[in-house]
Amino acid sequence: MSGSEIFLQQLIIGLSNGMIIALIALGYTMVYGIIELINFAHGDLFMLGSFAALTVVGLLGLDHLAAGAPGMWSGLFLMLLIVPLFCGSLNWLADRFAYRHLRDSTKLAPLVSAIGLSFVFMNIGLLWGGVPMNVFGLGRSAASPKDFPALVSNVNLLGQSAVEFTTKDLMVFVITLPLMVLLTWFVKGTRAGKAMRAVAQDRVAARLMGIPVDRVIGQTFLIGGALAGVASVVSSVYNNTIYFQMGYRAGVDAFTAAVFGGIGSLPGAVLGGLVIGLARAMCDQYLETRWTNVLVFTVLILVLVFRPQGLLGARAKEKV
Amino acid sequence: MNILEISDLTVRFGGLTAVNAVSLDIPVKEIVSIIGPNGAGKTTLFNAITGIYDPTSGRICFNGEEARRPFRRTTALALALVGLIAGLSLVLIVNVEPLWDTSITSNYVYQQTFLWSNATHAASSYFREETGRRFAIPFLIGALVGLAGAFAIWQRTRRAPEVAARAGIARTFQNIRLFNQMTALDNVLLGMDSQLRTRVWHVALRLPLYWRERDNTVRQAMDILRFVDLDREAQQLAENLSYGHQRRLEIARALAMQPRLLLLDEPAAGMNLAESQELMKLIHDIRDRGITVLLIEHHMQVVMGISDRIAVLDHGEKIAEGNPEAVRSNPKVIEAYLGKS
Amino acid sequence: MAAPRRILFHWSFLLVAALIPLIELVLPGHPHVGDLLRPIFIMAMLGLGLNILTGFTGQLNLGVAAFMAVGAYTYAILTCDIYPFRLGFWSATALTVLVGLTVGLFLGLPTIRLRGDYLAIVTLGFGEIVEDVLKNLDSITKGTQGINPLPSPSWFGYHFRAETYQPWYYLFLGFLAVLVLLNRNLQRSRVGRAWISIREDELASSCMGVNPMKMKLLAFALGAAQCSLAGALWASYLGSSGEPGNYDFQVSIIALCIVIVGGMGNVGGVLLGALVIMGFNSIVLETVTNFLKAHQLISSSNVFTAPGNWKYMLYGLALILMMRFRPEGLLPSRQFKAEAHPDEPHSPPTA
Repeated sequence: MSGSEIFLQQLIIGLSNGMIIALIALGYTMVYGIIELINFAHGDLFMLGSFAALTVVGLLGLDHLAAGAPGMWSGLFLMLLIVPLFCGSLNWLADRFAYRHLRDSTKLAPLVSAIGLSFVFMNIGLLWGGVPMNVFGLGRSAASPKDFPALVSNVNLLGQSAVEFTTKDLMVFVITLPLMVLLTWFVKGTRAGKAMRAVAQDRVAARLMGIPVDRVIGQTFLIGGALAGVASVVSSVYNNTIYFQMGYRAGVDAFTAAVFGGIGSLPGAVLGGLVIGLARAMCDQYLETRWTNVLVFTVLILVLVFRPQGLLGARAKEKV
Repeated sequence: MNILEISDLTVRFGGLTAVNAVSLDIPVKEIVSIIGPNGAGKTTLFNAITGIYDPTSGRICFNGEEARRPFRRTTALALALVGLIAGLSLVLIVNVEPLWDTSITSNYVYQQTFLWSNATHAASSYFREETGRRFAIPFLIGALVGLAGAFAIWQRTRRAPEVAARAGIARTFQNIRLFNQMTALDNVLLGMDSQLRTRVWHVALRLPLYWRERDNTVRQAMDILRFVDLDREAQQLAENLSYGHQRRLEIARALAMQPRLLLLDEPAAGMNLAESQELMKLIHDIRDRGITVLLIEHHMQVVMGISDRIAVLDHGEKIAEGNPEAVRSNPKVIEAYLGKS
Repeated sequence: MAAPRRILFHWSFLLVAALIPLIELVLPGHPHVGDLLRPIFIMAMLGLGLNILTGFTGQLNLGVAAFMAVGAYTYAILTCDIYPFRLGFWSATALTVLVGLTVGLFLGLPTIRLRGDYLAIVTLGFGEIVEDVLKNLDSITKGTQGINPLPSPSWFGYHFRAETYQPWYYLFLGFLAVLVLLNRNLQRSRVGRAWISIREDELASSCMGVNPMKMKLLAFALGAAQCSLAGALWASYLGSSGEPGNYDFQVSIIALCIVIVGGMGNVGGVLLGALVIMGFNSIVLETVTNFLKAHQLISSSNVFTAPGNWKYMLYGLALILMMRFRPEGLLPSRQFKAEAHPDEPHSPPTA
């Protein structure tokens, strides 16, 4: 491979991973935009989504089929229906039972609650991994990573080229890009989206205008969770391995992306996700893999020093 | 002599101009009121004076100089120091492993005495090879980033509320902002914070200065509470005080700063006649202590009763200024309040 | 004034703790309950370090484990005889505290102005960085093995040995008592007042002439120093720096649990929190596991039966339920109680 081909390859890998990070980051940024809460449990919600996807695969018996077999696409489609629904409802329940009561308390309270919830989710993932079901690889310890069957083939769509753009990469873009467009339209163009923006701007005023604030916040959690569900399906199929602690890593990456782009801003979250994905891919190639995490966080700290509101965020003025 | 000179002050938020080219001089030891309809930019003006908002343009001079951190030689030194440390840190970070190997590991024989001169020698010869890649480049990058970062932070905090406060500007807030979970006494003690001389080590180790200062400050704080007639409530949590008491406690906390200029944001809001009479007397007493008072107020009785001068704001612009009589009969003011007839 | 119960808790805790080894000597069979208390003391120190920033100043720090790691590794490098420094226990500990203070300052300087949530994420990131750096700098930190063996401390010629736990016990208790005293002194002074005022209303506080950046930085540095002290003592107790994975995010969360369950902003509360959380972790959970094992109720193929597999669930639920029903903690400071239940009527004023 020539130098430019290597670069191109890393670009593709970085963008694919970046899109997945962006999907998770959108969930963070939506929730933060509306109630100023770092939903710490979001990464672990993503992890639980992966386990749900694996369960769907197991129940449908998809793991016995060869990659790319005709049943695969319908299976994938089914997963894209069930898992986001599961994650969205779980996130809605989280809001209902862990956060809603804390709306008027100190700022620290819901954040701590979210951290607690993330631990609960992680523990559920640990136990889920231990459920003796064929697909989980019986006899393995609950904590070890599970193989996710290769549903989508790894065929290079660029033919004989040394640079690989596989069906998997294509799948990532085909699923994530329309979703982002849809989300933008939803927030900008629909009534529910307008209500969401109104609540984000001034909760009290929105309530006085007759907007059912709690329901709108619940919807935001639902949508954010569903996005995480899509991300977990895509990521499981793309990376072919899942484990119960992956939520922490993914959550930290996605949150970094959201902060990077300017938390509260939807395009910012996507941009941040892409930047983080690319930075990781480039660092893996041109520096050393073991320093990638360190680099990402150093960049985050530098961004916050020079531009605390993130790349696309608006600076908040405190009301006095 | 003017204690505060505002010239051509404009404060803009995005597209909204909250204060537009306002000029205002506040003479020493006078009581000046700012009036105007809601949303006229009065509180924004206060926020700009106390360093909460940055003016978009114009100057605010307190005592003849702008109330912001001056760029002194020590500032430059501190910035340079941060740059130096950041540069050296980056050099260390980039080279840490080979440096450790050549200077420490390869010179140390297990449990034998270690010669530090060998280690420093090895380190210096390590840097003499490939000086540019190992030392100069990381040092320059680190120093630049450190310098720029420190400068950015300094620039952003030049005009901070605590700078204005330490210069001698104290204020109260329109919606009372006391430290609710602290006692009335503690609130006043916090106001005295900038005059205290104890440092963290005095406090942690309970050195003699701590005891001496504690007794003094508590006595002074009680004096201030007595001045606003709250000494019996000293040990109550601020949030348990009645509304009128909270208003007075906020003034007491501001007085504890020993300010030269006191800004009161609607001090009589929600008060009945007797209470506002008391307040007017209190404001007079404060002025008699040599403190200039600038207040925002809607209660016309209070404003007309105590002000030496009145400035009127409307839509962010100053439309009138003068003594109470002149302002009262100014047609522009009447129009602003009552609308065009 | 605060109720006597609250004033007395931390001193009675220390007093009872000091008596435990003596009581054991009289009891038949010389049980070693005190042995189990040492990790509690260490975690209490970590909790006290976190309490300064989170409890007093109201800023969330999710990276205290990293400061503990810095302390443990600094202490290990300074004392272990595979390195040339070979310092004694006391000088190494003192230096470690200084290093912790400096690291806290260095991290705090660029980040302390950030709003609460951003600060939380930066400290979390710092925790990740430290863990990765310790793993990667193989030639200095010995990678995943950790640095060992470390020499035992000595006190005026007396050498601590692993077999007798009482000297260790009193060493740690002594350090804990000193920290409790220092923290109380800070809390009841201009420093504590300024910290609490920042927690209450940062803008009003800065309008009163308090420099919030400076005070937060001080809280950050002092907290970091305490956490690194806890790390140094932990390393000396283990006889090893431990491996980088020992200081991961979960340790930071346990420290947070300690502060929150005990009572934010209250020194006595932190001690109680450490007792409850660590007591549960290292005593209750272990006893239950051993009991189940002895009766062969745990099978290796069924993950649901091992109590250790439910640990995170319990910590998580503890945090959620505390926030929901008793956000001020088990032993709250006077201020936090009022803040947490704004609509409840307050106790009659004590004029």
